[in-house]
Amino acid sequence: MEYIVRTENLSKHFGQEKAVSGLEMKIPKGEIYGFLGPNGAGKTTTIRMLLGLMKPDSGRIEIFQKDLKKERLNILGRVGSLVESPSYYPHLTAKENLEAMRKILGVPKQRIAEVLEIVRLTDAGDKKVKGFSLGMKQRLGIAASLLNNPELLILDEPTNGLDPSGIIEIRNLIKSLPSECGMTVLISSHLLSEIDQMATTVGIVTKGKMIFQDSIEAMRMYAQQSVLIKVSESDKAWRSLLGRGMKAGLDSGIISLPQQSDEQVAEAVRGLVADGFSVYRVEEEKRSLEDIFLQMTREEQAG
Amino acid sequence: MMGKLLAAEFMKIKRKGIWFLTVLGPVGVVAMQMVNYGVRKDYLFGQNDDRWGYYLDNIHSFTPLAIVLGIVILTSFMSSIENETNAWKQLIALPVSKMSVYLSKFTVLMVLLLVSSVLLMLFTIAFGLFLDLGGEIPYSGLLKYSFYPFFAALPVLALQLWAATVSVNQGVPITMGILGVILTYAGFTLPDWLIWKWPLLLNEWNEPLINVLLGIGAGVLLYTAGMIDFARRDVK
Repeated sequence: MEYIVRTENLSKHFGQEKAVSGLEMKIPKGEIYGFLGPNGAGKTTTIRMLLGLMKPDSGRIEIFQKDLKKERLNILGRVGSLVESPSYYPHLTAKENLEAMRKILGVPKQRIAEVLEIVRLTDAGDKKVKGFSLGMKQRLGIAASLLNNPELLILDEPTNGLDPSGIIEIRNLIKSLPSECGMTVLISSHLLSEIDQMATTVGIVTKGKMIFQDSIEAMRMYAQQSVLIKVSESDKAWRSLLGRGMKAGLDSGIISLPQQSDEQVAEAVRGLVADGFSVYRVEEEKRSLEDIFLQMTREEQAG
Repeated sequence: MMGKLLAAEFMKIKRKGIWFLTVLGPVGVVAMQMVNYGVRKDYLFGQNDDRWGYYLDNIHSFTPLAIVLGIVILTSFMSSIENETNAWKQLIALPVSKMSVYLSKFTVLMVLLLVSSVLLMLFTIAFGLFLDLGGEIPYSGLLKYSFYPFFAALPVLALQLWAATVSVNQGVPITMGILGVILTYAGFTLPDWLIWKWPLLLNEWNEPLINVLLGIGAGVLLYTAGMIDFARRDVK
């Protein structure tokens, strides 16, 4: 597989504290990679290292299959980024802000109007950024990151400070980028729901270590399913199921069957009905990704 | 790359009042002499037969202070442009080397100070002619007093730029700057090796050119050290 970003044993510490340790990140081409982790897990530090803002203590970073250390300028010309809180020059207008970056990137002037259109800031283009709301500043930052039509877009918490309609807009924009522009996108977030709705690949980091990295489907597989059955006389019903040699749990009047095949569930229901219990509800319980995420990060802390 | 960076830098200093300060400096220096000569022109004319030379000496009594103070304010303004919203991370994530970013900042400051120096020369001539000092205009002296302080102040510029860019707390460079201004003010009594004394163009050999050469030499050294340190640091 062709990896756009690949890190090997990436580590960085600040004094005694290890911010990132032995991180191995692999981002395949054309994916939206959701970089997930609690606050202070090392997401931003990793992103800063990917952009060459910080030097790793050890390890290697390859972007576009080139060594970042050796070909930083070449690589950065093909990368767009928005790191943490948006940076801007408040005394300049939105257009002038983009122009200052455009001059350095050397892209055609019309690109400014294009990116302003993409983030819907065309009307505010001639206003000073000083008076912008946080959401508008964030959009300006996203516009700036798109200026050079990057092959790899790195967005650190891109929906911070946006209102719900803004979040949906940006989400749709990000989703459309791989297919329409052939971009690979790396988005970090501490909100799983955010990542869940955009990402195709997920990397979960906690305490500077990558604890999970795979497709979002693979992560959903972690969501252990169980079947819940609500019946009359649940205590007796539960015992009858156990008597038939089935694995079942009882929790506040509801019987749960962990990880059963369709036939086994059918058999359980048939047995219950045959034993004269009324079956009120049979439902599947899916653990949310939130639960998995919490469990994973907790396990890591315990271990 | 430098051309692009400089174009971007000159764009960023718009509306910051930086150009205004660049003009204000030389205006202020000449305005002091307008007051001086306005109040006691006859007395001053009687002090020395070389009226032009005496006038230039008077102008020069305020130039070093103005240039050191100007450097402190301009470097602080320059770095505030990036520090205000931590735009360093956005700038350095562009395909530019950190050394060229630092060089572009330094170059912009040098250009501003050179513009100030040119303006100082023009204002000095203009007010000198207005005073009708008589005799030939001493062009060599004029050039010397207009541009020598700039070169002699380069180490201060390099030091202040470094302090302003790497300090998270801008109180540090400002404090350094104020101390520097005081040192320049008290320069007459200080030893020759202090860089803040150099813009006064005084030394024990009585040769202002030594200060110019020292200024360029030490300026290059301090600039290089500052640039290397800047490039070495992680961007917060």
